[in-house]
Amino acid sequence: MSEVMIVFRREFLERVRSRAFALGTVLFPLFMAAMWIIPAKVGQGGGSRTIVIVDQAPAGVGALVEQGLTNPQGPAASGKDRVTYTVQRVAQPLEQVRATLIRRVQAKEIDGWLYLPPDIVRSSQAQYRARNVANFAVIGDLQRATTQAVQAARLQAAGLDAGQVAGLVKRVDVATARVTDKGEEGGSAASAFMLSYIIGFLTYMMILLYGMNVLRSVLEEKTNKIAEVIVSSMKASHLMLGKILGVGSVALLQVAIWATVTGLISSRGDFLARRFNLPPGAFDMVNVPVGTLLAVLGFFVLGFLLYSAMYAALGAAVNSEQEAQQFQVLVMAPLIIPIALVFRIVSDPLGPVATVLGMIPFTAPVTMAMRLAAAPVPPVQIVGSLALMLVTVLAVAWLAGKIYRVGILSTGKKPSLAELGRWLRAA
Amino acid sequence: MNEALTLEGVSKRYSAHIAVDDLSLVVPRGTIYGILGPNGAGKSTTLRMVMNIIARDAGRISLLGADPVADRTVLRRVGFLPEERGLYRKMKVIDVIVFFGELKGMDRRAARASAAGWLERMGLGDWKLAKVETLSKGMQQKVQFIATVIHEPELLILDEPQSGLDPVNQEVLRDTILNAREQGKTVIFSTHNMEQAEQLCEHVCIIAQGRKVLDGRLRDVQRENIGNRWYVEFDGGSDQVSRFMRGETRYGPVTPHGEGWRVEMDAAADPRPLMAAVAALDVPVVRFERERKTLHEIFIDRVSGAVTPQRRPEVAHV
Repeated sequence: MSEVMIVFRREFLERVRSRAFALGTVLFPLFMAAMWIIPAKVGQGGGSRTIVIVDQAPAGVGALVEQGLTNPQGPAASGKDRVTYTVQRVAQPLEQVRATLIRRVQAKEIDGWLYLPPDIVRSSQAQYRARNVANFAVIGDLQRATTQAVQAARLQAAGLDAGQVAGLVKRVDVATARVTDKGEEGGSAASAFMLSYIIGFLTYMMILLYGMNVLRSVLEEKTNKIAEVIVSSMKASHLMLGKILGVGSVALLQVAIWATVTGLISSRGDFLARRFNLPPGAFDMVNVPVGTLLAVLGFFVLGFLLYSAMYAALGAAVNSEQEAQQFQVLVMAPLIIPIALVFRIVSDPLGPVATVLGMIPFTAPVTMAMRLAAAPVPPVQIVGSLALMLVTVLAVAWLAGKIYRVGILSTGKKPSLAELGRWLRAA
Repeated sequence: MNEALTLEGVSKRYSAHIAVDDLSLVVPRGTIYGILGPNGAGKSTTLRMVMNIIARDAGRISLLGADPVADRTVLRRVGFLPEERGLYRKMKVIDVIVFFGELKGMDRRAARASAAGWLERMGLGDWKLAKVETLSKGMQQKVQFIATVIHEPELLILDEPQSGLDPVNQEVLRDTILNAREQGKTVIFSTHNMEQAEQLCEHVCIIAQGRKVLDGRLRDVQRENIGNRWYVEFDGGSDQVSRFMRGETRYGPVTPHGEGWRVEMDAAADPRPLMAAVAALDVPVVRFERERKTLHEIFIDRVSGAVTPQRRPEVAHV
């Protein structure tokens, strides 16, 4: 068996047999799911509010506001996370009741009060005072109910019927679907965005996690002085190659496991949707063409090779994880750029920002994963970007190998930039 | 071809200093060879160049008849124990040993069987499947040693093998070295412990500040550096002897030593007049002999003055 294979086998088995791998394979998708579901759940919250309306407004407005809150019409009425309101209306001036209201809020008898001033139709100003004014759902409801009431009053003053006007200005819903090489395909704008973000984020996380794994593995050999024994039996470059391929294969195995499970889920999508009371097509977004998947995989593999080579060099150059932390950010910075610009890339996947980031080898893996999931990227760009990456991987690996060779046997303080330059020349 | 290792004019220079300077030596096959010298003398650097871990700047190296730079496969016939040791802490004991055996070209199954045998012999049979990190330091050292010899190398190169070993493990190491030698293998080790070298080595090479001070058969080295120190021991007559010996200062300083006396003669002095004077005494002489210098003394004689404490290369072994 060749040296590279022996190292490969050790790195692969050590990781696959570890508890961390099993846990990661199960927990990572749960973590990803939680990242999507929890923010969506928090902030809706539902629940109920008791509110006093201090009604100084012209006749009818207060009643309409109350009705808008307790018995809403239109899109606001649907959704099980809706906040329900209990409303009391008082007609005294605010100055007379303010002290009482404050006491009642403090006693948690009511949640807050909404003040509708006498000139509300002209000034468009109302006030809401409550223990918690940070709940967007409640503020939104109050704004909508008050606006509708005031608009109705204004329309009436102009001699128009509110119901008629509402029918005239009804907004239009735009239904979305992607057109791909195969024709029109399902998937809403939201699910296309989700898919694009998930695939981009997954690529980012996997490159980062497994790149760090390479770094830690190099550091272990260096700090435990294993490197010296190994290098007396084989070439340092072979050691680095075997290590990167070994760790990378673990990442691919993990991805393969997830892909298989996802494939099973999507092939039973309709059944699962019925089983869990989800709308039909809830799993449609996992239907991605095979060609796209292969291209994403290609970018992931090259991206991993690129970053793990840099992480291997970093691990060899420093002496401890603490030291590595300081430089880690520099290595991963280009990887974060597409994540930071995710909205720009996904909302305009064929636009200039996405195209340029997709061609730069250091930002390409994550960017291209997002773009490929969001739109039909021209094949010329895919092939061109892959080719550029391949060349970059070879060049970076060559440089990293030199730093690695000298670094794993070095001791003492961490090298300065000038010393790193010397290593590059010497090796 | 009777040499296990030949160095000719080998040099290694770091940016700040010269670690090894024009070093030549010959290690015959089937011997135990000691490379001696103070810390920072260049011992480890020399062995690392031999193992092709670092590149030499100049000179020729022939390891088991081949240049390790041109022909890396020759390194598979060598077992190397580096000065600073380490094992994969999370791996099982037997897996670590098998891994190193495989790197030296062993078949995995053969390596596994051989490793099990070694562990049994070293008293670690029960720890075969334990993780390395659960072993005591002494046990880890044994494991490291097994990993060095698992592939039955023709040549063992041990860099400061006894450093950090407890007395029991030092004994184990000693037995293993002697055992390897009995099987016709060659052992090269570096040390600054002269006493140990004296017990084990047939050949020595003393280096200081990267330069060779002397080398050769230990017997020859001791003969050539015998000096002119004499030991005289009498049977009884202590007062008379004492008066006599303390008066005999014309050859050099006289000091009581053990049961008798030690006379440190000038290098050029002739011992025969002293011998005659001793013979003329009315006390029986038990011993009158030229004392052999210990390796430590030879080392101090030859090296002191030449040695100033030197800083080790700090960062890279380029």
